[in-house]
This record gives sequence, C-alpha cells and structure tokens, in this order.
Amino acid sequence: MSHHTLSNPKHPLHKYIDNLQAGQALLKDTPENVLEVVGILKSYGVVLEAYYKNLLYIAQSQFLELFPFFKYFNGDFSNKKLLRHWWHDRINYEYAEYCMRMMLWHGGGGLDQYLDTPEFVTLAKRAIVAKVKNNLLMGPVNTIFPEMLVEQVRQSAYYQGLGLFWEVMSAMFLTLSDKYDRKEITTIPQVVEHILNGLVNAANNPMVYSVEIKGETYDIVPASAKLTFLMDLAVPYVEAVFFRGTPFMGTVSYNAQALQIAPEQSRFTYGALYADPLPIGGAGIPPTLLMQDMRHYLPDYLHDLYKQTKRQEDNLRVQICQSFQKSMFCVTTAAILGLAPHSVNTKNPAEIEANQLYFANWLDRFFTSRIQEVNQ
Amino acid sequence: MLNLLVIIPILGAIFIGFWPSDISGKLARYISLGVAVVAFVLSLLILGQFDPANSNLQFTVLIPWIDSLGLSYSLGIDGLSLPLVILNGFLTFIAIYITNKEITRPRFYYSLVLLLTAGVFGAFIAQDLLLFFLFYELELIPLYFLIAIWGGPKKGYAATKFLIYTAVSGILILAGFLGIVFISGSSSFAYDQLLLGTMPLATQLILLSAIVIGFGIKIPLVPLHTWLPDAHVEASTPISVLLAGVLLKLGTYGLIRFGLCLFPEAWGIVAHWLAIWAVVSVLYGSFNAIAQTDMKKMVAYSSVGHMGYVLLAIASSTPLSILGAILQMISHGLISALLFMLVGVVYKKTGTRNIEVLEGLLNPEQGLPLVGSLMIIGVMASAGIPGMVGFIAEFMIFRGSFGPFPLETLLSMIGTGLTSVYFLLLVNRVFFGRLSPLVQNLDRVYWSDRLPALVLVAVIILFGLQPNYLSRWSESKASVIVAKSQILAQPLLLQAHRPDLVITTN
Repeated sequence: MSHHTLSNPKHPLHKYIDNLQAGQALLKDTPENVLEVVGILKSYGVVLEAYYKNLLYIAQSQFLELFPFFKYFNGDFSNKKLLRHWWHDRINYEYAEYCMRMMLWHGGGGLDQYLDTPEFVTLAKRAIVAKVKNNLLMGPVNTIFPEMLVEQVRQSAYYQGLGLFWEVMSAMFLTLSDKYDRKEITTIPQVVEHILNGLVNAANNPMVYSVEIKGETYDIVPASAKLTFLMDLAVPYVEAVFFRGTPFMGTVSYNAQALQIAPEQSRFTYGALYADPLPIGGAGIPPTLLMQDMRHYLPDYLHDLYKQTKRQEDNLRVQICQSFQKSMFCVTTAAILGLAPHSVNTKNPAEIEANQLYFANWLDRFFTSRIQEVNQ
Repeated sequence: MLNLLVIIPILGAIFIGFWPSDISGKLARYISLGVAVVAFVLSLLILGQFDPANSNLQFTVLIPWIDSLGLSYSLGIDGLSLPLVILNGFLTFIAIYITNKEITRPRFYYSLVLLLTAGVFGAFIAQDLLLFFLFYELELIPLYFLIAIWGGPKKGYAATKFLIYTAVSGILILAGFLGIVFISGSSSFAYDQLLLGTMPLATQLILLSAIVIGFGIKIPLVPLHTWLPDAHVEASTPISVLLAGVLLKLGTYGLIRFGLCLFPEAWGIVAHWLAIWAVVSVLYGSFNAIAQTDMKKMVAYSSVGHMGYVLLAIASSTPLSILGAILQMISHGLISALLFMLVGVVYKKTGTRNIEVLEGLLNPEQGLPLVGSLMIIGVMASAGIPGMVGFIAEFMIFRGSFGPFPLETLLSMIGTGLTSVYFLLLVNRVFFGRLSPLVQNLDRVYWSDRLPALVLVAVIILFGLQPNYLSRWSESKASVIVAKSQILAQPLLLQAHRPDLVITTN
C-alpha cells in the first residue's frame, strides 16, 4: 500500500504498526494460521454459545438467589444431569463467570459508570425490595447490609452484559467458520474483516437488563441508559480479558507484597494476549477450563493438524491455547481497526499521522505480549 | 531348581551369542526376555517352597568338581540370599525390557546381560568360597563390556576403571579365601566346613581386612568408591539399573556371608571402626550428592550413602540391624533401579541430565508429568518417607544399630536428612517451575516407558505398607547369624573390653 507512511523504525514493534496502517492484521497471514484461527474460533463459538446462554439464565432467572446451587443447569435439572455434572462431563461454565468477574473488577466503559449512578441504585433497590419481600433470610440481611445486595445486582448486570456480548460473538465466529467451509475466507485479513464487520454491525445494539419478579418486570439497565454493544461491552471486555486479566496462580506464583504485581490495575498485563500457554492443564488455572471445553468441539481439520505434531494429542490443550492466542490477536486487530480515528484507506496526511499515533499507542501495550511468539 | 537359575541364563546367552543362523535384534530381545521371565518365575517358585522358619540352607546342591583344588559345585539358599536372588530375577527382566530396541550388536548385548545375570545368581547361591569367587569374577567381564561398548562418551575410561577396581577387589577376596583355607587347614573351600574352623585372632583380623576391603570396593565404601559414579554416568540405563540394583549388593552380601559369619570374633573387634567407616561413607556420599549437577551422578552418590547404612547395620550385628541390612539391600535395589530408570527416561526425552539446564518437567502437557510424579515418589522412598520400603529398612537399621553404636547411628541419620536435601534440590530444579524453553518440544512418552517404573513404585509401596511380606523370609536367618557370631565373639569381646573379667583355665 502506498497511501500510508512508515512508522517510527525505532519502535520495537514498528513492523506491526505498519501492518495495521496497511489494514493488515497483527497475525501473519499464512494458510496454516487461517486454518488454526478459523478452526479454533469455530470451537470457541460453540462453547461461547453455551456460556452466553448460561450467563443470561443466571442474570435473569437466578437474580438474587442466595444459594444458586443449580445455576449451571439452565433451569433443566434432573438427577441424571447432576451425576453428569459431578462426573464433570459438562461445559465449564466457571470460566464464563471468571471472565465476568474480570470485567466487573477492571470496570471501564459506560456500564461501569452507569452502575455507580443514583439512577441504577434506585432501580436496583426497587428490584431488591420486591425480591426480598417476605423472605425471612434475605430481608434481615438486606437491612443489616444495605449495600450487599446492590453489589450483587451490579454483578448480575455484568452477567447480562457479558452474556449479550458473547451472544453476538458466538454467532459471528460460527458464521466465520461457515464462510471458511464455503472457501469465502482464505486469508487472515479476511478473518479480521469478518470480525470487524460483525463488531460494527452490532456496535449500536442496546445493552438493557430487566428481571421478572413475581410476575412484574423490573428494569435494572433501562434503554434510557443508552449503553451500547461496542463501547460499553466490547471495549471493556477486550481491555479486561485480552489485556489486563488477573494474576492467577499457575506455575508462577505472584507475590503482591514483593511488588511482583503492579499496584495499578491499568498496568496489569495478565490477559489472553500475554498468557503463557505452558501452564495450561494445571488444576485451578482458569484458561485450562476453556481449553478443555474447546477440545470437545474442534473441527476435524484442526484436530488432524494437532495430531501431526511431535507430541500429538499429549499437549492438545497447549496447542489449543496457542491457536486461541493467535485468534485473539485477530479479534484485537479488528477492535483496534474498528476504533481507529480514521479509515486506514485515508490519503489525508494528517489523518494518516493521527492513525499512526493511535496504532503506536496501542502497540506500546504489546511489548510483553506474545505477539512475537505467535508470529514466529 | 537352583541349578536351573544358573544354567538357564547361561544357555540363553550361549544360544543368542552362538546360534549359527541369523538372529535379529528383535528375536534376541524376545529370547532374552523369555529367559529372564523363566529365571524370575523359577526364583518365585523357590520362594513358594522356601521354609522361612528354617534358617539352614535349603534346596542344596552338591556336586564334587575339582577335588584336588577342594572345589565343589555347592549351591544353597537361605534367608540372606533368597530376597537377593528374587531381586536379581526381577531387575534383570526390567533391565532387558527397558533396553533400547534399536541397540547395536544386540546378540552380543543380550548374551552379556544373561551371562551377568547367571554370575550374580551363582554368586548369591554359591556355598563354596572358590565357586563364589568364580561367579563373582564371571559378572565382572560382561559388565566391563556392557559399559565399554554401549556406554557414554567416556565409556572406555569408566569401564577400565571399573575393571581395575573390581579386579583388585577380586584379588583381595581370593587372597582372603585362600588364607582361610590354608590357615585353617581345611581340605576344601566348602562354606559350611569353614564355618566350623578356628583361627588365631590376629590371623582373623588380617584375613577379615582383606575381605572387608575387597567387598568394600564393590559396595563401594569411601574412599574406594570412585569407580561407581563414573561407571554409572557412562553406563546405559539398563546397566545402571543392574549395577545399582543388584551388583553392589554382592559387596554387602559378601560382608555378611564371608565377613561377619566367618570371622565373628574379629568382627567384634573391628565393628566399631566399621561403624565409623559407615558414617564417613554416608556423609561423604550425601554431601557429594548435594554438589552434583548430573542427575545420574547424584543418584550414584546417593547409592554410596545408602550402602553406608548397610555397613552400619552389619557392623552393629543385632538381629534387627541384620534384618534391616537385608531389607535395605532390597529397598535400595528397588529404589535406585527406579531412580536410574526415571533419569534414563528424562535423558532419553530431553537429551540432558544436567539439573542446571532442566526445569519445569512436571508441566502437565509439554513436560513429563507422570515421570516427574514417579520421580517424586522415588526420592520420597529414598529419603525414608513412611509408607514406602525405604522407611522400613532404614528404621530397622537405625533401631537395631542405636544400641551398639548410638553416636554413629545418629550421625548416619543425618544422611537421611541430607537425602531429602539433595533429592529435593533435584526435584525442585528439574521438575518444578516453568518448563525450560530448551526442552519444550519433547518426544511423546509411551506407556512402555512408564510401565516398569509404575511396577517398581507399586512394589516399593507394597513392601512399605506390608513389610512382613519382605522381612518374614529373613527373620530367622538374621537371628541365627547374630546368635552364632555373638556366641563365638563373646569371650574375645569381653577380653577386649574387660580383661580382668576373663577366666582363664590353666
């Protein structure tokens, strides 16, 4: 492309800035990368579908349940399913909750701001009063700790928010796979374009949340809050899950008192783009749950690719994680391009410079990410 | 039946080595595996018919051989040799099983392994001193070739060093045996006849010294040990398994059979010095193990330390300590075989044994998680953690030795703590942490790599939980050994410590 200027060559990742300015992706465009990314996003799409349905079920049907023992059953409980659940023959819904809490913890975006407004508190308390009325346990709890249930409602709002976000993303990834199967997608930029179009199309979807209590509907996040898909869900999600993450226990134990963890959350770099795929498989490490879920839905062509490696299926989850990380760089590319101040096709020098500065600011955050490893 | 234990491996070796038509490596492997299975099953049959209450020799075979030399083909088995015979059968099968299927010159290799096995079986059941010596020397030659041909980069050096040390060991033992026969005036080398002989104490001390040093090289005791780490490092994994598992036990077995039993009076005099020697071996071996960076060398030095416990137990010569010594021989045989085997798997997959290079091998997906877990069990067993056979053996030794040699026992117990130190260093560096980038693309580990180690772990835990399965065969023998030696040694011991109390008859 001739219409963009080269970035500052002193920037350690200037190659990627140039790629973005040229409308390319952060991931190298190779047939194997396309196969891996599309294949893994297909299995991710299937898993996300299960996740979002459960998140929305919990948000709407488990609202302020003090002991939501059966929240992972989506209202379809039976002893047989309980046995399967205990046998662990199931989707790891805990991973979805883990991501939800990550968003709640890091905040950001319009939803986070709205949940601190008096308007939300008023609406939440209305719903709380309706819910705890005649409840001998929760009523006194609410009286003694008036902020506790409000905080629970905030969490429920995030259940709803992430559920709505993944509903869009799930469909988007499954459509991507269908297009790949029809050979309409053959390059990484096409993958990015598909995701970008999906994000743009859903950008203004409203984020609303209401619950039904004793036959009456209570708004928690009304349409008047004017929260939308892209800026209030997608962007905070990318920030929380892709970039910041949480310093979970893996093969490395972090010691916050020894300042191994940055004191400001904004400086956290434990997200999907930074994650070390090697600890995958360790008990209690959240990404492992996702990899375990995805391995059940791998398309045959991707599974065959993994079987051709030296350790074949012995390190399947690590391979899934590596492919997943590649795909997340594609999603991140789409998000960065989608939020760019100007089109990458612009020929206006001022706009090109503004874009370059914007991309360079993003890439400043990638120094310790795995961008180099996934492009080897 | 004892005849077959020796003859079958020799026939197997001859068949594989000299059969005129072509025998492929695969066939040679199957034949040797078959021979090993037969030998192991035979040893189990002997176990089935063995009477543990009878401390005398059982299944005896006596065939006159060269009368002019006083040599007879005399075999027999008792509670001292039975566990070692079974251990030899078991570890031989495992060693052949874990041998690289693509090994070069397979016919020669498997012949030598079977010959080695026959030598070890023979040495454990020989009841004629000269016959024992012949078997003892018989195992030397195959082992030399097994190290010199299929060993590591410095195999020539290690094999030659092993040959020289063991040859000196053999010369000293032979000198001791000849001395016993000539001085006692016996007409043969038959063990049971020599048991009844008497000799002046000074003569006993001289002969015992030769035998202790001879077997001390084999055990090995510090400072006669330097051949062992070199031999282990250069030997292939199956040979290390056999070397640590059974061959070292020839030394401790010899000390009990031909040291303590033949020279009880002299033994009583030198016992204290032997106990001190044991402490030196334990501590020196342990401290050296801490300093090692090669996993195999660390396990080798660990062997030096652990065999020191056996010497302490023999020096103490109480019923419990002798039983502990026998159990420790078996325990060390199983545990060291397991550790060498696992080190071998790590080396095979990663190409290195350097603990400064390896890291994070417990990684569940890219590392060697099961091998690492088994290694942790192995080092726990070696460190004497309860529930495993190592604890039983060491506890018996310390309990049995504390009475005669309290200070030496306490100092030796430091060795168990040091075992934890060096093995935890090994486990921490090699298996914990983030997987080293140098070893991230390892070959798959197959169940055939894991199976022998799993079997050994099962046996180690079984005997740890139910030590009676192991100890019952040797209890009566251990008591008889001690009783006989104490009866014979008592007047001399008394003389040594309280000459005023000795009643003399003129």
